Amino acid sequence: MSATLSRQFGRPVVTMTLFLVVSFLIVPVLLTFVGSFAGEWSGVLPSDFVTLRNWREVLGLTETVGSQRSMGWDSILSLGGYTLAVPSELIFSVGLALGGVLINLLVGVPIAYAVARYNFRGKEWVNAISVLPLVPGVILGVAFLRAYPTLSGTSFGLIVGYSLLKAPFMVMAVRSEFESMPLQRLEESARSLGASWPRTFLTVIVPNAKSGIISGAIICWTLAAAEFNFSYIVWAKGTQPLALFLQRHISNSSFTKAAAAVSMFFCIIVAITVLLQQVGSRGFDTRG
Amino acid sequence: MGTPSGHPDGTFSGVRARIKAGVTIVESIVDPLTERDRERRRVVALCAPFAALLAIAGAYPLWEVFRISVSAEQYRSVGFSLQAYRTLTTDPYYRRVAFNSLWLAGGTTLASVGLAVPITHALEKYDLPGEDVFVTLVSFPISLPGIVAAFMILVLFGNNGVLTNLVAVLTGRESIELAIAVSAPGLFVAFCYSMIPRATLILRGTYAEIDHAAEEAAQSLGATPWQTFRHVTLPQIRPGIIGALILTFRTGLAIFGTLIVIQTVVVWTLQISRELATGYDIQVAGAMATVYFFFTFAFTALGLRYTSAEVGL
Repeated sequence: MSATLSRQFGRPVVTMTLFLVVSFLIVPVLLTFVGSFAGEWSGVLPSDFVTLRNWREVLGLTETVGSQRSMGWDSILSLGGYTLAVPSELIFSVGLALGGVLINLLVGVPIAYAVARYNFRGKEWVNAISVLPLVPGVILGVAFLRAYPTLSGTSFGLIVGYSLLKAPFMVMAVRSEFESMPLQRLEESARSLGASWPRTFLTVIVPNAKSGIISGAIICWTLAAAEFNFSYIVWAKGTQPLALFLQRHISNSSFTKAAAAVSMFFCIIVAITVLLQQVGSRGFDTRG
Repeated sequence: MGTPSGHPDGTFSGVRARIKAGVTIVESIVDPLTERDRERRRVVALCAPFAALLAIAGAYPLWEVFRISVSAEQYRSVGFSLQAYRTLTTDPYYRRVAFNSLWLAGGTTLASVGLAVPITHALEKYDLPGEDVFVTLVSFPISLPGIVAAFMILVLFGNNGVLTNLVAVLTGRESIELAIAVSAPGLFVAFCYSMIPRATLILRGTYAEIDHAAEEAAQSLGATPWQTFRHVTLPQIRPGIIGALILTFRTGLAIFGTLIVIQTVVVWTLQISRELATGYDIQVAGAMATVYFFFTFAFTALGLRYTSAEVGL
């Protein structure tokens, strides 16, 4: 490439690539959201605005039939004549994902600390195993069906599967937080003041890594709530996880209604992203 | 995990190393004498919960899958037979499925990492207004499952898609003829939708570590922007690019949800689910899972061993 070419066009071309790719990623998201309020979408752009029908149908506020079936509602709280009801698919996934996050916290925080703080033989292997997904969801699903035939389709099976699939993200988030802390100094100070090692870990180290742990938990939660591949293979009956609910709408429903279902999911992700930024984390950053 | 299980993979060596270390320190764990022993005990204790989850939810189920794939009977793990693997290697159908998986994942990996380099470069090197917003927007699709990525492609390129209809209006052709969402190119684009954000994420970590002084020196010595990138920046980000290629390729091979929505090309993961859906052929599905597992393990291990790649995801 000649000198002038690179000087003249290098930066515009690179910047243009960024704009085009960001548009490619985001324009369909915006269109979907806008389209979810449309009554009709068969021309270039959706039309017949503004209707909340799609959203009402998807959320189960309007009666629907057959494969277009919407969310059911569970009442979780009855208080003085008022009943607090929640969409069952949504709350089911929220619960499953929370269970997965809980396991992730228990397994992810300690191993992240081991890798960040200590030098030991086989450290690179432990590191690689803890941050690389072992197998994709489909294959773990097949393995679960085979190894735990009765357990795999239950909520517990889903939770355990999610926790293994999403553990790397927890380890990464927490590890990068640990790596930014003066671990050895912290540990030695606490120890010299008389705290035992377990107590140092639980009451000094872990609270100091709070923001990394919270952001790891949020990331894992988001990814587990949206987990499709594993759920698709092992899920048998009962309330569907959210991702299967989305797939049912994408495959069977009208375009605008599928748009509403997907938009509902976007809203959750956006809320989570805002939450992540509030925590002040480095979010999906991979290295400390 | 006590069995010398059939996972000579990352798990296995790591676990073996851990077991080996564990054996030598059994006494010192029970009764640690030196600070070094205590530190070992701590490392073991810290790794134990993860190892337990890995054993229960990962290694044991995969071992069972391996066992049924070499079983002499269809639904029980008894005896030894390579029938399922014979099917995989001799039936041209499976060869085609494997080929589909490789070219689709390989092609989309090259495209995604190829696009991620200029994206990251623009984000990290140029002072663009609203840079944080761009970072957020590029990262957003990471949280979207494959089915949603597929829906995004339908919105753009489907029969009803915006771009399809736009081109149809402009050229006067039928939108049905122009829709590419449900075709191999559509699938290619849908894969890229999921993979570009991940590749960008990995490369951003690499770019953050670049030595800026060297670049400025090159510039002030009269190098053009392209020469600076080619001879100063690129050598520094090469390990990151190789790491991104390995990890993005893994992502590409693992994609499944997208294929459930856009079922035009049968790849390995989709075929595994089809083996179960039609006739529940757990043996062939198990063999396919085993092959997948060894393949991804082998190329990841080789990639990390023989290149200077960095892995973060």
